[in-house]
Amino acid sequence: METNSTLSRTPSYVLQGGLAILFLFPIIWAAVASVSPSPGSSQVFGYGLGNYKTLYDSGVGLPTWLLNSVVISVLTVTFVLAVSMMGGYAFAKFSFPGKNVLFLSTLAILMVPSATLLIPIYLLHNFARTVPIIDQIANMNLVWLALVLGMFQLPFATYMMRISFESVPREIEEAALVDGSGTFAAFRHILLPLVRPGIVTVALFAFLAAWNDFFAPLILINSSAEQPLPLALVNLRQQTMGAVDFGSTEAGVVVMSIPCLILFLLLQRYYVQGFMSGAIKG
Amino acid sequence: MRKPIRMSILAIAAVVAVVGCNSATATPTATPTATPAPATATPTPAAPGAATPTPAPTTFSAGTDDGTKLTMWTRAATQARAEPLVAAYNASHKNQVSLTIVPTDDYNTKVGTAAAANGLPDVLSGDVVFMPNWTSAGLFQDLTAKINALPFKDSIAPGAIKASTWDNKEYGLPFVMDLSVWMYNKKLFTQAGLDPNKPPTTLAEFQADATKIGKLGGNIHGTFFGGNCGGCNVFTWWPIIWADEQQVMSPDGKTSLLNGDDAKAVYKAFAQMVSDGTALMPDSKTEAGPTWTGYFPKGNIGIMPMPASLAGVANAALADSDIGVTPIAGVNGGTATFVGGDAIAITKDSKNADQAWNFISWIQSDDAQVNVIAKPASQGGLGAVVSRSDLANNKYSSSDPRLVMFNSIAAKGQTPFAVNFNAAFNDPQSPWIVLLRDAVFNNADSAKIDSDNNAITATLQGK
Amino acid sequence: MTSAAPAREVGSGRRLTAKRTRQLVGFFYALPTLVYVICFFIIPVILVAWMSAHGCKLLTCTIPNPGQLNLPDNYSSVSGNDLFWPAVFFTIEYTVLATVLLIGMGLGLALLVQKGGRWVSVLRTSFLVPGALGLATASLLFWGVYSGAIGPFNPLMDGLNSLGTQLGLVTQTSQISFLGSPNTALLSTTVLIVWKYAGFYMIILLVGLQAIPRDVYEAASIDGASRWQTFRFITLPLLRPSIALSMILCITGSLLAFDQFYVLTKGGPDNTTVTLVQLIYREAFIRQNLGTAAAVSIIVLVALFLLNALQFRGLRGNVAD
Repeated sequence: METNSTLSRTPSYVLQGGLAILFLFPIIWAAVASVSPSPGSSQVFGYGLGNYKTLYDSGVGLPTWLLNSVVISVLTVTFVLAVSMMGGYAFAKFSFPGKNVLFLSTLAILMVPSATLLIPIYLLHNFARTVPIIDQIANMNLVWLALVLGMFQLPFATYMMRISFESVPREIEEAALVDGSGTFAAFRHILLPLVRPGIVTVALFAFLAAWNDFFAPLILINSSAEQPLPLALVNLRQQTMGAVDFGSTEAGVVVMSIPCLILFLLLQRYYVQGFMSGAIKG
Repeated sequence: MRKPIRMSILAIAAVVAVVGCNSATATPTATPTATPAPATATPTPAAPGAATPTPAPTTFSAGTDDGTKLTMWTRAATQARAEPLVAAYNASHKNQVSLTIVPTDDYNTKVGTAAAANGLPDVLSGDVVFMPNWTSAGLFQDLTAKINALPFKDSIAPGAIKASTWDNKEYGLPFVMDLSVWMYNKKLFTQAGLDPNKPPTTLAEFQADATKIGKLGGNIHGTFFGGNCGGCNVFTWWPIIWADEQQVMSPDGKTSLLNGDDAKAVYKAFAQMVSDGTALMPDSKTEAGPTWTGYFPKGNIGIMPMPASLAGVANAALADSDIGVTPIAGVNGGTATFVGGDAIAITKDSKNADQAWNFISWIQSDDAQVNVIAKPASQGGLGAVVSRSDLANNKYSSSDPRLVMFNSIAAKGQTPFAVNFNAAFNDPQSPWIVLLRDAVFNNADSAKIDSDNNAITATLQGK
Repeated sequence: MTSAAPAREVGSGRRLTAKRTRQLVGFFYALPTLVYVICFFIIPVILVAWMSAHGCKLLTCTIPNPGQLNLPDNYSSVSGNDLFWPAVFFTIEYTVLATVLLIGMGLGLALLVQKGGRWVSVLRTSFLVPGALGLATASLLFWGVYSGAIGPFNPLMDGLNSLGTQLGLVTQTSQISFLGSPNTALLSTTVLIVWKYAGFYMIILLVGLQAIPRDVYEAASIDGASRWQTFRFITLPLLRPSIALSMILCITGSLLAFDQFYVLTKGGPDNTTVTLVQLIYREAFIRQNLGTAAAVSIIVLVALFLLNALQFRGLRGNVAD
């Protein structure tokens, strides 16, 4: 069955190659379109970076938006990792009252439209600003936004970390405990390194989600100086009534995508492994 | 060459004179030359020593200017005009306004979420058609007394103030204005054998001209409209109905009259153009709004309604001298316009109402109106329509006859009033889009239009 | 069920404390999740449920003052909304289409890349790359691709048109309208979703494929099973847990579809692509009836929770050793 000659495989290579190109085509097209001449954009004649210059010059400017996006995304990754690593460990290796209810409640986050949830979260945010101590966090808008974005990532992160920890054989954890290390030392020095692919996958997903989210910052951020990139790009697109600047829209798509693509390509190996590690369980 | 424009200048002069007379008779203080006494406007006038980089012909100040930080939201569509205004204010005042830009399509969402949670900024600008919704829900502070104390109150374009009035209390002032006009491509008019100095004066002429230009074929199309866009056709079709002295809604905004004779005549004209296929650019059927003003500047549309703010759309494809503008005409003649744009108000959540008043009343002053709004874009201003009729003829307007025309028709334009305007007309799922698509693309009969119109009325009444 | 029954036997006392301690430790590790989920999810959901019981209006609804109690009207009026049933049917239609295409495509791609090698890893990367983009970003990208203004298909069609005109085959020039009719709008949106997510489902299914022991295939091969028989009677059944997980994610995601339609179709043409979440959005932010919007959200939450509980039971039932 596995004896196809190179000749008979050629059409299949062409087919596979064609499929790969089909998947890459839209991204390549966006990159080309963003530097191509198009009427009504900042790049009317010839090829050039006019649309990117528009992005750079507009409002408080690209550097500020990029910085805000990086801060929000890094905070989100931190929150999600801290909570889901501990939670995943708890769900995988321990049993305690209410475990299943808590796990299912965490997964249920996936089942509520985020727009609906943001209204009460906004009410809570304004309430939190009036409570001593909590107002310290609530007044840091970017931190609060990252907490909200982290919540939306919690189902995937917790599930991923749970199957990652479940795939670690019980003997390894028990050996560490017998050695006399406490659960935290065992967790920190022995288990965490073993689930690294899962951690990287969770971090990557949290980063991508936080980096790209539009609706939560729309509702929660009240100052141009604190706006992240997606919000700023929509502003840019809707600047002239009824005349969308397609050129800078596609430039915006490229600017939004580049960090995601770089991170993804760098971490791809772990990403695939992260899913694989859960494979032992099925 | 420019006969129609000259004629409209004359018309304007007449209108301005009339308006001027009216206001002069109404309140002796509001003369076109506007020499207000600041003391009557405010108990705490601004420090006279404040540095003003652009010396205004008359100094006007109301409210408090004590170096307070004010917050303001505006939608992305008005960003280009809001930023220079705010910058000019910040440069000449101690108060500093910090402007937050919110995506246009999501502005209602943002304001709506903030309103109930007491999270609104000091100053809020918003599309005039949404003002009744916000005033009726108590989002703003009552400005009636303050507005009445303005020395030039009677020359402020009434549209925004009327739209911001609820229960006889005035809550807002004009921020930036926009109007709908017919724009036509003079080059294509000549090519089609039409006189570029004789733009249409009735809907039938509009249709005939568009059809004639459409016959040029190729990439050339007679006209274009947003066939899947509620807001576009509110802005561009309603003036056709108003021009004939007919109404689109009852004055309280609770009953839709969009099944009237003129409304049906408008649908019929466009349905004919759709079925005929000659005049209309085919993309009209799917245009949902984001690109509807983007086609005319490409130079291949003969005539279509456009926002006056886009008069300076000249580019490589369309020379400035080829852009003709004329008021939107009715089924049986007459002209009208939709006075849109944004109103500005002080929110209930503001703790700096006096300082905010200093800012929004300054926008109405001669200084802001002439030196920022009317000043051409080439000189660092906005080159836009002023919101005070006494300033329609200013030192800049004479340089662009189109501006004079815009300023003049602004005075007789209309702004619709309805609490549930967004749900009834602008929303992509609005019953108005259902009606216009049924009538224009699906050959709905009169009875169907009537029942679609009832659906609009139901939405207007919040059902 | 998880709580230990209090044991009174003297001999098991020490073991009991050890178990208690371990429970406590586990609880400690779960504590951040518990606090997070309560503060940012449970309390907001309770607030949504509470809004759904009142005639809460967007601009005026506050926590102490939500408007009058409006039960069961908020819930019973939902089915009277003109857009509700069309939205339900359209959302289900889209979900079925997207799920079938995504899992079919994901499985096909997984079979294509399940062996190693440089060529395969290039393929795998190209299938995964679209997943790195955000959904809104990807939707905007496709909005450009589908647009008549800068889309790549228009020059193509112009070329074909002029060729056709020269050959006398075409008299009227035509353009492709990707979002113009109900069916093309649905298909064009689904193409975007398949493009973006097929790689993700490929990975989940690949994990399942790799977990099938090699000797099972060898046994089948010895028995003389054909390729199709091997796939149908060995691969598919053993892949069930992965397929079940894919279906849970895909169905939940599709039933809550919003961004892609918000950017590409805005529910048009003629309200034929309005999804349930768009309906909720419209009810909350356009019509400003927070109460009924919250009611629809709660209905969707309960429906999804039940649906997923059923599916999850199937999944865990197969996964558990």
